[in-house]
Amino acid sequence: MDEFQEILQDFLVESFELVEKLDEDLVELESNPEDLELLNGIFRVAHTVKGASSFLNFDVLTHLTHHMEDVLNKARHGDLIITPDIMDVILESIDLMKALLETIRDTSADEGIDVSACVARLDKISNGEAPSDATVEPEEKSEPESVVEEAPAEEEEPDYDNMDPDEVEAEIERLLAQRQSEDKAKRDAKIAAGEAVPTMPEVEDEEKKEEEPKVEKKEEKVVAKKVPAPVKKEQKSANKESAKAAAPTKRTPAAVEQTIRVDVKRLDHLMNLIGELVLAKNRLMKINEDVEERYEGEEFLEELTQVVSIVSLVTTDLQIAVMKTRMLPIGKVFNKFPRMIRDLSRELNKKIELVLAGEDTELDKSLVEEIGDPLVHIIRNSCDHGIETPEERTAKGKPEGGTISLKAYNEGNQIVIQIDDDGKGLDPQMLKEKSFEKGIITEKEMDNMSDKEAFTLIFRPGFSTAAAVTSVSGRGVGMDVVKTNIEKLNGMIDIESVVNVGTTIKLKIPLTLAIIQALLVGVQEEHYAIPLASVLETVRISKDEIYTVEGKSVMRLRDDVLSLVHIGDIFEVERILDASEHAYVVVLGLGTSKLGLIVDTLVGQEEIVIKSLGDYLKGIEGVAGATIRGDGGVTLIVDVAALMNMAKDVKNSALNSSTEGSSAVKEKTKASDYTVMIVDDSKTDRTIMRKALEPMGITLVEAADGQEALNILKSGDYNFDAMLVDIEMPRMDGYTLATEIKKYNRYKNLPLIAVTSRTSKSDRMRGVESGMVEYITKPYSADYLASVVQRNVNFKAEFL
Amino acid sequence: MGDKLKQIIDKQSEQKNGVVEQLDDVVQLVGFMIGDEEYAVPILAIQEIIKPFAWTRVPQVPNYILGVFNLRGAVIPLLDLRTKFGLTPKNQGEDTRFVVLRHGDDVAGFVIDRLTMAIRLKKENIGAAPDAVGGDDSIIEGVGKQADKIITILKVNKLLERTF
Repeated sequence: MDEFQEILQDFLVESFELVEKLDEDLVELESNPEDLELLNGIFRVAHTVKGASSFLNFDVLTHLTHHMEDVLNKARHGDLIITPDIMDVILESIDLMKALLETIRDTSADEGIDVSACVARLDKISNGEAPSDATVEPEEKSEPESVVEEAPAEEEEPDYDNMDPDEVEAEIERLLAQRQSEDKAKRDAKIAAGEAVPTMPEVEDEEKKEEEPKVEKKEEKVVAKKVPAPVKKEQKSANKESAKAAAPTKRTPAAVEQTIRVDVKRLDHLMNLIGELVLAKNRLMKINEDVEERYEGEEFLEELTQVVSIVSLVTTDLQIAVMKTRMLPIGKVFNKFPRMIRDLSRELNKKIELVLAGEDTELDKSLVEEIGDPLVHIIRNSCDHGIETPEERTAKGKPEGGTISLKAYNEGNQIVIQIDDDGKGLDPQMLKEKSFEKGIITEKEMDNMSDKEAFTLIFRPGFSTAAAVTSVSGRGVGMDVVKTNIEKLNGMIDIESVVNVGTTIKLKIPLTLAIIQALLVGVQEEHYAIPLASVLETVRISKDEIYTVEGKSVMRLRDDVLSLVHIGDIFEVERILDASEHAYVVVLGLGTSKLGLIVDTLVGQEEIVIKSLGDYLKGIEGVAGATIRGDGGVTLIVDVAALMNMAKDVKNSALNSSTEGSSAVKEKTKASDYTVMIVDDSKTDRTIMRKALEPMGITLVEAADGQEALNILKSGDYNFDAMLVDIEMPRMDGYTLATEIKKYNRYKNLPLIAVTSRTSKSDRMRGVESGMVEYITKPYSADYLASVVQRNVNFKAEFL
Repeated sequence: MGDKLKQIIDKQSEQKNGVVEQLDDVVQLVGFMIGDEEYAVPILAIQEIIKPFAWTRVPQVPNYILGVFNLRGAVIPLLDLRTKFGLTPKNQGEDTRFVVLRHGDDVAGFVIDRLTMAIRLKKENIGAAPDAVGGDDSIIEGVGKQADKIITILKVNKLLERTF
């Protein structure tokens, strides 16, 4: 049983690989119906699947593929010319084959799909009847000179019609071997000639091809031996060969790639380990920085720095290497579009040509899986709404056939997928009016909307420009899916369009999901990481530049109006620290929307590893995950898409937080309700102060340096009425302490009394600058100290 | 010689059985204080007990979830049992500990006021939770009786269950 499963697995993997390439080949075949190489390739697929499935007892699949094989075999032998109608049937049968393979994958059996109708049609074709009106064109003789010009590199071909199946098999084998060696020779010749390989056959080529069916027929029967093909032909077949690279590699020994199949889980695990390593690297770099500061100039430091940079370098390389193992060419996704365009253009009665470029561009496996759907929707949309009917196009003076081009390329850390069409373009005015009609936007929004913003309306749910709902599009769902999916990948969408010239949609997607570049921002005492892919720019603004419109904050950014939201409002950050006059705005872009996020500080850019918050905390709005920083702390990662949603509902408290001042002060009922902190590094000094103040009966708290004092303040255990601060202290001196304390809203009005032996004027000045209210110089009398404290805490006379 | 060896082996296996029997009867717990009450969790559910360190606040969660912290590379939620049990929050002091509990794949850290001790309790000394607080939804596994006091034994899987 296990053995059977193993064989079954291999069968499925192989079959899916074969089928994947099939669609593209078939569509190409339609334009070059006589292309023997292509036909052979397709025939081989049907044959291989048939052989394997009969061995594995999948009767339905065998039955279907057998009949497909019949038709293809006839076509191969020239008894049948592939017309679009015949192609429809073949494509249908291939769809059925795919469906069957999927059923087998899921259930290990090929039941539940009815193939009889399709088989009947296939039979009809192989019996020489056309599926509908079109019959096989009688073979016309073409001019002899074209025979010579177009002569392919074939030797005499035996009469297949009189062969029995075994002989046919043998013949195929022979032809294959011959073909391969020819191709190889041609490729070598081509490489030697240094020619570039165009991805799509050129138009002239296709025109020439029109004549070819007749030519080849003739050559079988009339011409016995041929001269080697002219250069032109060589180039063409070589092109085809390279376009078909994926399928034939297995069979052409010259191009065998050394590969092994690896379970994706193992790669994921490897990726996780690398993630840990990146975190450790970040940590090491941080430690190195700290050590550098402390032991500047020491010899071992240089060595440490060297080791750290090597580790960092190797880790980065390793990360890239592992990421590459997970990369798949985007061609895997692009492959299905030629077929889709073909079907759509027939359905819509339009002439549409698809141009693919950059299929070799690689991106992460998980992204390849996610990107398919959005592209389908965009391309359907371009076909249905973008490209006009041939009549309209001719009227506008455009070529009858429209072109959609799909290309992928790398741009920095992102991959860009660009979809261009030369259709009617988007009319911003029309888009606005339609959206207004459907209640998607208000009249005011409509008036204020720029053209670029208007284009993004097509991504709103419920929006559709189609006059009628067709089977292709018009329900106003598809483009919304595009937006959601792209945002899920932290991608961006960019649209450009000119009426009657065409539309360009660019999808920008980060290369990988697990390890990302992030911008770290600070708000109060917290840090957050924002995926750098979603950050367009950062701006420093003063509070005056923020305006309020309908209860929302906005700012003017060059020519745009940018809505703003404070990160503290989104993440419920308590405002302990006093906000400064200036703020930083991180301009976030996702999909097509923009938002300004106000933060207190910009910390910097860092490579972070996304970790999940686990089951217990999953699904917190606005948080995409967490990462571990160099210092070992955890920083939350902002989910930009969710944040944009949340921003709509957030009321801005950001800017009118102004001064609530010191919160409700409790009524003092007894002397011990007054609390004063004594900060001094000398125990003796603290005791002297304590002795001086104790007679008043107030509560006294001691701290040995600025840091400790700050911690006591932060803990909020006491409500201080005043602080006595020494200036010269280890760890944190009095001035720094005062500056730090004044950052907190709560302690803005806390009287700070400097008690020091520094007496110079500049010391006093510094004291005032840092927010000290009194300056007592040592030595002082106990009474004086007490009176200063009493004055500053508003000590009630009755307690004396 | 052979007999002697056999005897030794027999004796050893006897001892082993004895130990197993003993283990079967006894539940090992770790006791800790939250407010004035003593609670306990099975020692096997405890991944580790650590001194408090910095954690990161997480927004939009109930107040008993303090946030997340980094436990050797894993991001783990931190819950305050005082707040969860309806007591007023208290500042963490010298005796405060994070108890990291694990049940299956779920891991979380819990802030407790003070550890008491490891407790060995015979099964017969563990009573069911009082009816009023019992049942499947209860966070209480049972009540352990000791000579001078009783201890509330908590259900680890319930502690680790998300309830918001």
